[in-house]
Order: sequence, then structure tokens, then C-alpha cells
Amino acid sequence: MTVYITSTGSFFPGPAISIDQVESILGAVHDKPSSLRVQIQKANKIQTRHYAIDENQQTTHSNTEMATNAAEQCLERAFLNREKVGMLAVASTQGDLPAPGMASMVQAELELPEIEILTTHGICSSSIMALKAAWNSLRLEEHEAALVLSSELASRLLKKQRYEAATTSTFAAKRIDFSTEFLRWMLSDGAGALLLQNKPAPKGLSLRIDWIRGFSHAHALPTCMSVGSAGRPTDSRTWQDYDTYAEAEQDGALLLRQDVRLLDNLMRMGVDGYLRLVEEGVSKPSEVDHFLCHYSSHHFRNKILEMLDTAGVGIPEERWWTNLYSRGNTGAASLFIMLDEFLRTDEVSVNVGDRVLCFVPESGRFNTTYLQLTVVEK
Amino acid sequence: MSDGEISIEGGESSSVQENVPEGVVLNPHAQVCLQQLLRVWLGFERDLSKVPLLRRIDLGTFTVEDHQVFLRNIRQQVIEGSRWIARTASSFDRNHSEIRSTIISHAVDEHRDYQMLEKDYVASGGRLEDILNMERNVGSEALHGFLMHRSSLPNPIDLLGAMWIIEGLGEKMAHSWAERIQELTGLSEESTRFMTYHGHNDSEHMQRFYATLDRVCNNEESITSIVKTAKVVARLYRLQLEEIEYDIQ
Repeated sequence: MTVYITSTGSFFPGPAISIDQVESILGAVHDKPSSLRVQIQKANKIQTRHYAIDENQQTTHSNTEMATNAAEQCLERAFLNREKVGMLAVASTQGDLPAPGMASMVQAELELPEIEILTTHGICSSSIMALKAAWNSLRLEEHEAALVLSSELASRLLKKQRYEAATTSTFAAKRIDFSTEFLRWMLSDGAGALLLQNKPAPKGLSLRIDWIRGFSHAHALPTCMSVGSAGRPTDSRTWQDYDTYAEAEQDGALLLRQDVRLLDNLMRMGVDGYLRLVEEGVSKPSEVDHFLCHYSSHHFRNKILEMLDTAGVGIPEERWWTNLYSRGNTGAASLFIMLDEFLRTDEVSVNVGDRVLCFVPESGRFNTTYLQLTVVEK
Repeated sequence: MSDGEISIEGGESSSVQENVPEGVVLNPHAQVCLQQLLRVWLGFERDLSKVPLLRRIDLGTFTVEDHQVFLRNIRQQVIEGSRWIARTASSFDRNHSEIRSTIISHAVDEHRDYQMLEKDYVASGGRLEDILNMERNVGSEALHGFLMHRSSLPNPIDLLGAMWIIEGLGEKMAHSWAERIQELTGLSEESTRFMTYHGHNDSEHMQRFYATLDRVCNNEESITSIVKTAKVVARLYRLQLEEIEYDIQ
């Protein structure tokens, strides 16, 4: 059974926030402007992003609401009666409730009756896990249509109060704690939605799913991006091992961390997985018309990319497309948000028969995921 | 490197062999060979993260003693390295004289490296007689045995795969390890000169490598042999590094 993405949707909370406004939304920790913000923002080149919290760090939209809004837009654009949706798969790094799964909460909002649900847990690649499971369900002909959502509300983790409360943490102890601040100036909020069907849409362009693959390297590499530990190599406690959650928070075990030193591994493993797909004949670089990468190209503009060119398997930069710089890094939601805009943007010409290679690397513990889509029209 | 000065461009500290010369066009077989060599390297590099000693660099728990034990265990291979390279040169016949010249100059570059390593050991607080008296560890024996065997065969082009791994590791030491080790241990640059030295002339080494690969890799058979040797050397090199843990115990 061939499966198609027949509709897409996205949702962004609040207005576009510029580089200079970011700290007024997330808040200056102890009223002192960050000494790292400008450096990190300059490196990631993100110009605007959206937050689901206001300038008083109060939540304006829940994660469930954002996912629901993206889903509603996707369904409104679809040529399908919503009762035909048999499965709802939802991906997020952290839903509003630790339990139950986020798909339950979103299903309730969407009022989709008696459907099969799936919540995937992870970081950026959780969206691809959800997509693959839904794709497989349709391939097995268990459903005619599935809704796949990815939504992120990172700002609640990044607001100043989190850092101010971490009084005994590495963040409080060090003059500069790069690992806890790095993601503060990287991540933002948003949601994306894809509708999967067993036939292309009757009008307009659909995306045929050719293949989805993933390679995780957690067996070999240390944790790179996480929430739940205090970030000290000799302390193996996780947030639930503290006597109280208050102690875990004080110790910084609830802060989002990125071990930036390990990040190079993500690009290396990304290239390794790509070369593996090329070697297996799954991906043919010369046939890729568009490359949608969750990481921006300037992160990859390094020697290893030049080596891919020398080895004859590079993808020319004019085929890369991203909306990272205007929409921000929305983690798990990024690729779906990117696909939604890719089909509508004037920046790039999308034609029937075009092949779209997508790459979503997750730095958490190095999961690299890939998919190929082909543009079709009924 | 202080915490506030980390390169966040990611690629800047990449340890994969660097400085691809502009406009290099490899023949199609050499291209496929390079694709496969890249995968062997990336897998090797990933698996090195599992080696306990090197894991401690990643986790930030690496000590002065770790650095000493590393140097002690690597010295024999560095000494033997110049021997197999020299033997490789002598195993190429007159039809491969250009490659022979390249390899001879490479051997000249590196044949006294072990002396730098001994000075590093002393600078990091080790006793000279300890490193001089150190025997080859089990992994070094296997690696040395394999390389001397292959280099004794006629026209051993497959050893390009060995150079790929060993040169790549030299660059990884220079770009990823040396500074981090200084930061974690408080040792000075005087203790990591062997590592940093290998970051020099990267571009030149890479150009030589591509030129040689393009010349010798012209069929399926040569791809297979070069990649196979790269895999064997990667595995035996890792064994050598894994064996360091027994020295610590």
C-alpha cells in the first residue's frame, strides 16, 4: 500500500519575536542580561521565532492547544471527512502532562472518536517515529487515514524562573555554564501536522512517502541533550531520585542541557547514515531535487561536507531549503512545519516528480532519521 | 578552551580529515572508495567513544594518569609506524615509483615522532625509564603484526586504508583531544606536543592522499582491498586502545 501526505498544517503561538526581543520574553535571569545570548544567536542565525509564553513568562497556549490548532488547519485543508481518520500519532519532547500520553489529550481536543492513538517520546526525531508508525499502519491497511502531529513548547523550560530556582546547580556555580544556556537561545515553540492517506489528494500536490529510515547511536555515544540530571559526570541521580522535586530543581536536574562538545558527533553520524543509504542504493544523491534538513546548512558547512562532494555524493547547496531562520528551531515540530511551508513558499519551485530528501538528526543520544518523499498529483 | 569560548559552529572542530583541496576530481572508483572509507572512519570514531579511556575525555573525568598511560601504550606503535611505512615504500616496484616517493617522504616526516612522545611523557610527570621499558600491548602486537605482514607483500596499495585510519586519528588527537586533555588535567602544551603536531600539514597530507587514491584505485578489487585493510586497522587500533585499561588495572 502506497501512502501519501495529502494535507499539512502548522501553528505558531503569538507574534514573530526578533533577536533583540527574545530575552524580554524568556526573561533575564536575576535581571542580568545573558553574556552568551548574542554569541549563540549569531551562530544559529535564527532571525525570528515564536513563544507560547508572554513577557511575564505566563503560558499563552498549552502544547495540546498548539498541536490541536495545527491539526485543525491540516484537516480544514484536506479533502477528507475527519471521521475517516483512524489513527492519531503525536510527537513532542514534553507534553503538558507527564502522563497520560499527549495523544490522549489532543484526541480529546479534536473530538476524534474511538481512534487508535500513539504518543512518541524523544526529542527532534520523535516526529519521525510517529510518522513512521502511522505510515506503517496505513501500509498494513489498518486505516485509510492517519493524522501525525508534532508540537513543542520549549519556552516553559527556558524561562528565567527555571534558572533562578536552580540555586545549587552548575549554572549557579559557574560564571558561564554554556551547556545549560546553549539551548535557551536556540529553541522556540510551534506545531506541525501531516495527514496521511492511502491515496493522493484529488486536487493539488501530494507527497508520496518512498521510505523512512533511522539509525540510533546511543549504544556508543554519551547523552548530549537532556533534561533530568544535574549535569555532573560523577552524579548518576535523575530528577526522580531526589527526595523532593524542589531539591531536583535546585540542583539543576530540571534544566535542559546540551553538551556542545559532543555535537560534532551528530553531523558525523548524520553523514554516516546518509552514506549507508547511498551504499544500500536507497538514496541516490543525483536524484534529490530538494533537501530539507532540520539542521541549517551553515552547521554543516565544514570539511566533511566538502569530502562528500569529493566522494561524488554531495547535495548542492541550491537544493537545500529551510525555514529555520524565520520559524526558529522548534525541535520535534521542525520538519512538519518545514514541509507545510515548503509546499506553499514561492522561494522554491516544487514540481510533480520532484524528490524530497528530509533529514532529522536528534542530538539527545544521537538518533539520525531520514525520509524521502516524491511530489505527485492525482 | 574555557567554557565560554567553545566553538558552536560544530564543524570547526571536526576531526575528520580536513582541508580537501579545491577542485579535486576523483575517478569513479576512487569516489566509491572514499565513500566507504568515510563510513569506516565514522564507525571507528564512534566506536572509540566506547573505549573507557577515551570515554573519560568525553565525560570530563580524564586524569593526568590517563594521559601518561595513553602515551606509554601508544609509543611502541609510533616507533613501529615508521618501520611499516618504510617497508611499504620498499615493496612497491618500479611501476609504482611515484607512490614510493610519496611514501618515503611520509616516512621521513614521522620516523622520529616517538621522541616527541617521550618528552611529552616526562613533561606530564612520568619517568623516562617507565616509558622506555614499556612493552607492546596486546593490541599493538596485533596491529604491528598485521601492518608488517601487509607491507611486505608486493605493491601493497591496500595500506592506503591503514594510512586513512592512522592519519585520521592523528588529526583527531590534534583537533579534539589535545586541548581538551590540557583543560581537564591542567597539563601544559609541553605534554601534548605529539598530539598537536599531527594537526600540522593536514592539507598537504590530504592532497597527497587524494592524489594517491585516484592513481591506485581504479577497479572494484582495489576498492575492496583498501577498505578491508582500513577496517582491520581500525579494529586493531581500537584493540590497542582498549588494552590500555589493563595497564591501568
